[in-house]
Amino acid sequence: MRRQRRHLLRGYPFMTSWHLCETSVPIVIGFVIDRGVANRDVGSFASSLLVLVAVFVTLALSYRIGSRFIVRAIEDESHRLRTEVAGHVLDPRGVRTDLLSGEVLSLATSDASLVPVVFRQIAFAVAASVSLTAAAVYLIWVDLAVGLVVLIGVPAIVAIIQVASPLVARRTHAQQERTATATGLATDLVQGLRPLKGIGGEDVATARYRGASQDAAGATIGLARSWGYLTGMTTGLSGVLLAVVVLLAGTRALDGDITIGQLIAVVGLAQFLAEPITALGELSAEFARSRASAQRIVDFMRTPALVAAGERHPTGDAPQLSLCGVTAGPIEQLDLFTSDGTLVAVVVEEPTVSDAVVAVVSGELEVEAGTASFGGVELTDLAVPARRGALVVTDHDASVADGTVRSIVDPTGDIDDETLAAVLDASAADDVVALHPDGLDRVVREGATTLSGGQRQRLILARALAADPPVLLLQDPTSAVDAVTEHEVADGLARLRRRPGRATVVITSSPAVLRVADHVVHVRGGSVHATGTHDELLDDPAYREAVLR
Amino acid sequence: MSNARELLPVAGSRETARHFGRLALRRRGAVATTVGTFVVFGFAGIVPVLMIGRVVDTVRDGGDSSDVVRAAVVIAVAGLVAGLASAASAAALAATVAPALATLREEVLDSALHLPTSRVEAAGIGDVVSRVGDDVRHVTESLDEAVPALLGSIVTLGFTVGGLFTLDWRLGLAGLAAVPCYAFALRWYLPKSAPMYREQRRAEGERAEALVTSIHGARTLRELDRSEDGRERVERTSSAARDVVVGVFRLFTRFGFRMNLSEMVGLAAVLTGGFIVVRTGTGTIGDATAAALFFHRLFNPIGALLFLFDVVQSAGAALTRLVGVAAIERDHTAAGPVGERPTLRLQGVSHSYEPGRPVLEPLDLRIAPGERVAIVGATGAGKSTVGSVAAGALRPTKGCVTLGDLVITDLPEAATREHVSLVSQDVHVFAGTLRDNLRIADADASDDDLLAALTAVRATWATGLPDGLDTQVGGHGRSLTSARAQQVALARVLLRDPTLVVLDEASAEAGSAGARDLEHATAAVLKGRSALVIAHRLTQAQQADRVVVLDHGHVVEEGTHDDLVAAGGRYAELWSAWSEG
Repeated sequence: MRRQRRHLLRGYPFMTSWHLCETSVPIVIGFVIDRGVANRDVGSFASSLLVLVAVFVTLALSYRIGSRFIVRAIEDESHRLRTEVAGHVLDPRGVRTDLLSGEVLSLATSDASLVPVVFRQIAFAVAASVSLTAAAVYLIWVDLAVGLVVLIGVPAIVAIIQVASPLVARRTHAQQERTATATGLATDLVQGLRPLKGIGGEDVATARYRGASQDAAGATIGLARSWGYLTGMTTGLSGVLLAVVVLLAGTRALDGDITIGQLIAVVGLAQFLAEPITALGELSAEFARSRASAQRIVDFMRTPALVAAGERHPTGDAPQLSLCGVTAGPIEQLDLFTSDGTLVAVVVEEPTVSDAVVAVVSGELEVEAGTASFGGVELTDLAVPARRGALVVTDHDASVADGTVRSIVDPTGDIDDETLAAVLDASAADDVVALHPDGLDRVVREGATTLSGGQRQRLILARALAADPPVLLLQDPTSAVDAVTEHEVADGLARLRRRPGRATVVITSSPAVLRVADHVVHVRGGSVHATGTHDELLDDPAYREAVLR
Repeated sequence: MSNARELLPVAGSRETARHFGRLALRRRGAVATTVGTFVVFGFAGIVPVLMIGRVVDTVRDGGDSSDVVRAAVVIAVAGLVAGLASAASAAALAATVAPALATLREEVLDSALHLPTSRVEAAGIGDVVSRVGDDVRHVTESLDEAVPALLGSIVTLGFTVGGLFTLDWRLGLAGLAAVPCYAFALRWYLPKSAPMYREQRRAEGERAEALVTSIHGARTLRELDRSEDGRERVERTSSAARDVVVGVFRLFTRFGFRMNLSEMVGLAAVLTGGFIVVRTGTGTIGDATAAALFFHRLFNPIGALLFLFDVVQSAGAALTRLVGVAAIERDHTAAGPVGERPTLRLQGVSHSYEPGRPVLEPLDLRIAPGERVAIVGATGAGKSTVGSVAAGALRPTKGCVTLGDLVITDLPEAATREHVSLVSQDVHVFAGTLRDNLRIADADASDDDLLAALTAVRATWATGLPDGLDTQVGGHGRSLTSARAQQVALARVLLRDPTLVVLDEASAEAGSAGARDLEHATAAVLKGRSALVIAHRLTQAQQADRVVVLDHGHVVEEGTHDDLVAAGGRYAELWSAWSEG
């Protein structure tokens, strides 16, 4: 609010002036009829029309100027909130939150645009209150009794409507929920179209959707009914109030207490005033909605960073990763070290342990005992820039952004074609390029659904290899590729990573990769079961069971 | 595969109107009630204004107070009638439109689900999702909210203009004097606004895309040290969108200004008309008053009409996209019986997705009843294409596929599913309960059947779920690991109980421990059926009765696992690469 004070302070007076003019239109109509039409005099009619023109021009200009300031403030604030939410989720240290990414997205979209709507609400509240006061003064000045009837009757009707509106709100909620459920069901079914068609489930799926769709239609009719009651009641009660006002004001006019112009103005106001009063009544609900959105954004912005980070930088020329007696989650007293120029393979029997190792190295899982360090610095003390580019973790949940094959593998765009070709060759991803007429410029859509699982996996591997970090941790890089390709990848890994200044850890159970590793660590139940080369370990039945097919 | 999308059809506006009209007119009673109540509502709405005019005349002429009382009573009655009519019309309109819309969206989904797989792939799944998702939502929201408001405004407008003319034809004409002003404002605004709205949609689309990719991909961006790029992209697109929105609103306020001036011109014209009528003695002050009040009453409906015009127009566009899908012709041919002990035969089957780039050369393949055949080959060898053709999911460019007495290449895909199941590479857990997920395959299966199928595929975890079969999985529910999702997919096959199963890389994504479990599950599912297995892990080939090795669309070797290993050819090479370790 404070950020937008400049725009708002300029906007509010204009909005108020606009609303005052809107309110005065019925009074002006009465004035023109009384002074102009009833007198049958061209001069006085023309001058009364001038008043009308003046009111309308003021009205139109006020709205044009005022609303621009308000909208400017709303859009700017919404933009700022949006970038703040996105900035938080894109913190280089990550965010520790339970929200699904879809929920964060809705914070950055719908919540960020709902919060600043409060500016408009306040504008209307201020404008409506001022013009209501003015109208009240006018009505009481014209005639105390008529004024009181209008000033009590209109709010009374609005109050009655307010009592009924929770019903509509409930039904609205139910209707929106059912419509969303039906839409969600349809989208989900289509997203699973291939498996669905494979099993011949189209008709069952349609029947299930029909249920949800009919439910939504029923809720829509229910909502329309209660909405109908509400508008019907408003129309009916307003009609009765109008009748009372006409009766009272008409009688007063007959008695000569008020003029015809005043009669018209009073009747016109009685009809017009319902609008600002209703708006004022609804304001609290809208205000609450904006508040809830604001609260959600504040809660999210307060979530801490995912990765603990400090200020220290690793020491030595070729910093190495070292897990020494680490206990964390399912991991117990695990030892794991990289050494320069080598490829270390880790066979992990339990998927949860595998994920935990990745999380510890990423700095996302807190170490309970032992030390996890990089270049002699504990991972939790490592400065964010020091981690950058030096220690890269590619897990099997890694995703592919929109773009071309080239921009996915080389997001910075600073790798020459020769290196790129070498990387694609090493990750056996060259067929993704070769099988497609557009080659490196082949467009890949978000989530890479146009690629097969194996192609996606190889592109992600190529990306990690292209980044060429001193220390690289890969999780299951070949789980979705065929036997021949697996060998190509294993050879490629050895070719690109087994050289001075580079150290690599691969979590895998692929014999092809294990065969090229310099050293294999067999992890069982969260701790090291055996170490050695692949050939040495093959004598162990437990190891054979874990890696052979 | 080419990037050029062949999007699903869009209906013409006339076809759309006819299609939706037919659906809406199914409920004649509701339609008649809607029309009737709207007429009553419109009529009851103009009575009070006429009465106020009378009261003004009564006052002017110094009439009797009983006239005022009578007018007040009429106003009260008209108000109550208008209230009743408005309530009834809202309900009747919803009873007409909502069921019609529900039927339409069901038709759309049904049609989308029955589209041939090749058609879906040509259009892109995104197009289908946006039809059944965004377009349906868009049309539903606008029909629910905009149409009642639009009809209400049109009725008020029509009756009020009619009211003006009943007062005096000159007053009616004076009221119409505002029409050119409004038209002028619209003609000024529409050509300017259309490109600006397009620009706004584009900017907002870019912003949405930036947000979606940065937020969904936050983790990847962070790992690649690209978080700052994401932030910059959001900042850039969001501020661009803000500037466009503010720009569009500036234009809108200029339009609003012209609208306000049109209101002024109209009101002045009506008052002038009233002045002339009164001055020439052909009408009363009451008439002039009623006319002015009539015109004042039009401000809101006209504003609403112009605002809703946009909404209804874009809803109409979405509606044409829905009718386009709903109207797609479907092949309803049903599958006959396959006969005793059916054999699958692929005869001279060749296929190319793009002319001149064949992925399958003429190929013959035979699978005896109960036989399990594995297809082996490198990426791009045409394995999956053979699987799709055999399962009837893809109609080959040339050749014929039969299963016993059934000619699969002549049947629509859904009919083939009576006898053939296809488990594809991409597993999907449907949003809903575990029971929903299994019953997709057989709507009538009992809980016992479902549990038996889960046991057979070794899904022991299912019994440990908090709510058993009622546990929500997929969507917002508990997410299943890919190995479990594949077990569910296999359990569906058991429930479906087909003659032939085509299995495409069904255990590709599991780690090795999980893969072994899945192999046992697969064995349980394939027992006693003919099976075509697109083998990814060579263990799958080892367990098959026969192995077919494909290379660049050709069959290069064929035989049992042992024979092929002994023969020392291409397969032997693959096998040693796989197993040496």
